[in-house]
Amino acid sequence: MFKSRRFQYNIPLFIMFAPIIAYFLIFKFAPMGGLVIAFKNYNFTDGIWGSAWVGLDHFHTLFTNPNMLNILRNTLVLSFLQLVLGFPFPILLALMINEIRRSWFKKTVQTAVFFPHFLNWVIVGGIVITIFSQETGIVNNIMRWLTGDSYPYLYNTGSWLAIFIGSGIWKSAGWGAIIYLAALAGVDQSLYEAAGLDGASRLRQMWHISLPSIRPVIFIILILSIGSIMEVGFDQVYMLQNSAVSQIADVISTWNYRVGITGGRFSLAAALGFFESIIGLILVLTANSIARRFNNGLW
Amino acid sequence: MMRESQGDKTFGVVNNILLLLFSLSCLLPMVHLIALSFSSQSAIVSGQVGLWPVGSTIQAYEKLFENSRILTAFKNSVIITIVGVALNLLFTILCSFPLSRSYMYGRRFFTLAIVFTMLFSGGLIPGYLLVKSLGLVDTYGAIWLPGLVSVYNMLVMRTFFLGIPEELVESARMDGGGEWTVLFRIFLPLSLPVIAALGLFYGVGHWNAFFNMLIFIHSPDKHNLAVMVQQMIMSQSIMQEIGNLSPEDFKTITPESIKSAGIIVMVVPMLLVYPFLQKYFIKGMLIGAVKG
Repeated sequence: MFKSRRFQYNIPLFIMFAPIIAYFLIFKFAPMGGLVIAFKNYNFTDGIWGSAWVGLDHFHTLFTNPNMLNILRNTLVLSFLQLVLGFPFPILLALMINEIRRSWFKKTVQTAVFFPHFLNWVIVGGIVITIFSQETGIVNNIMRWLTGDSYPYLYNTGSWLAIFIGSGIWKSAGWGAIIYLAALAGVDQSLYEAAGLDGASRLRQMWHISLPSIRPVIFIILILSIGSIMEVGFDQVYMLQNSAVSQIADVISTWNYRVGITGGRFSLAAALGFFESIIGLILVLTANSIARRFNNGLW
Repeated sequence: MMRESQGDKTFGVVNNILLLLFSLSCLLPMVHLIALSFSSQSAIVSGQVGLWPVGSTIQAYEKLFENSRILTAFKNSVIITIVGVALNLLFTILCSFPLSRSYMYGRRFFTLAIVFTMLFSGGLIPGYLLVKSLGLVDTYGAIWLPGLVSVYNMLVMRTFFLGIPEELVESARMDGGGEWTVLFRIFLPLSLPVIAALGLFYGVGHWNAFFNMLIFIHSPDKHNLAVMVQQMIMSQSIMQEIGNLSPEDFKTITPESIKSAGIIVMVVPMLLVYPFLQKYFIKGMLIGAVKG
């Protein structure tokens, strides 16, 4: 059996694959095991395995802390707004780009709208802070010119929220549209011709042909985004937050960084991380099983 | 082609105008920052700067580059990116090639186990403690190693490998070639576009690296551009230190110019590779969109 050809082929394959197995075990699966510190009182001298078990104490501490409710609420509110307002935007953008007839214009638009995706939040945050600054920002310069008054956009919760969500859409909408554009490129052109002969306007064609053809892709992206509803990216909040809006800007990721990494309360932060991961997993599985009922599941 | 109705024409025009506006909104902020970085203090304070520099000056850049810290950060960013991409590509290839071979033992098991890591992870704290216990804190190992293989990119490459005709593999076997020969003589030469695409994917990620730098790298001389620019944006005192600025200097340069100049320094290399990015990225995304 060990002389079989398949076995012979597999020896070099597993020599290649051994470092990969080691990588995933050490850097992906070991941290999953490391989550046990959420149920322990971790300290450096005793290490992960030597630290004492404390059961669900950390979870108790977390969820009896009134501040934590605030953090969870902020996280859910921000990511829910991101999902509801941000999700349709790439779809709309793709449908609109798909309607462009001149190919040079299509290319130009794509070049422009993909660009922000490649900037990280340090840059996008820097741009936002510069543009909306009350003293020297261009938005307030224009405001002053129009109305004679300026406004602290970044220091008022309402306008901060709008800027937060808006900058996220600005950065990711173009990139998010690519996958829908790819799906739209595969739509049978004779459908449009037939609809056109029947007198359907371009808007109706968009609604009745383009949109239904990309429905499976929309479902896939929706499932994936629902799975991350407990996540509000650290970088974006970290760059845009300030003391005036911390009441609504403090989220799980920033709390985890502050309490866990800089505060050194590893077990407590790990407990919150564990909670977040589990909810995320449950959400993906649930969303997928619902989508599967409509034959649009991810797996 | 039929004649378009009046309604369809209007639709086309409105559609194009809206897209033009959104496209402009994606580019103009950057143009505005470039203008700020080249504008004089008085022009900025009186709010005259729009999309074109007013009272042109390159003082902000001079100040930035006078001090070696920004150059060190630039060099660090380059090192992190180049070494990081090389490691990423090597490991992504070593991972996706075996998983694309139908005769690999346990192929399904390994694929599922790896895809599972996309859905569930230990999260921030266990990952941090792991890096710490491996003694990687304050070394670039902490930046390179935890993200060695992006599962998504790996699946893209595997999908591409699956599309390579089996006959080519057979013919290499006839000539007595083993798996390494098949990989290096057949698969890699055929996959150059995909390797380029993924290299750019990874490269942008490393160039933009921020969070991992923030939590793992503590020595200021090891910081990359992202961390340095972030500190400059957040704190005027750090900006003074980085730019070696005296309070006197702020009479001729505004903090806005310096911040903008810092951001531009970080964006320019990205702009230079952007044409390639666009070409290969979309190709890469499309390959990934085909279910493997």
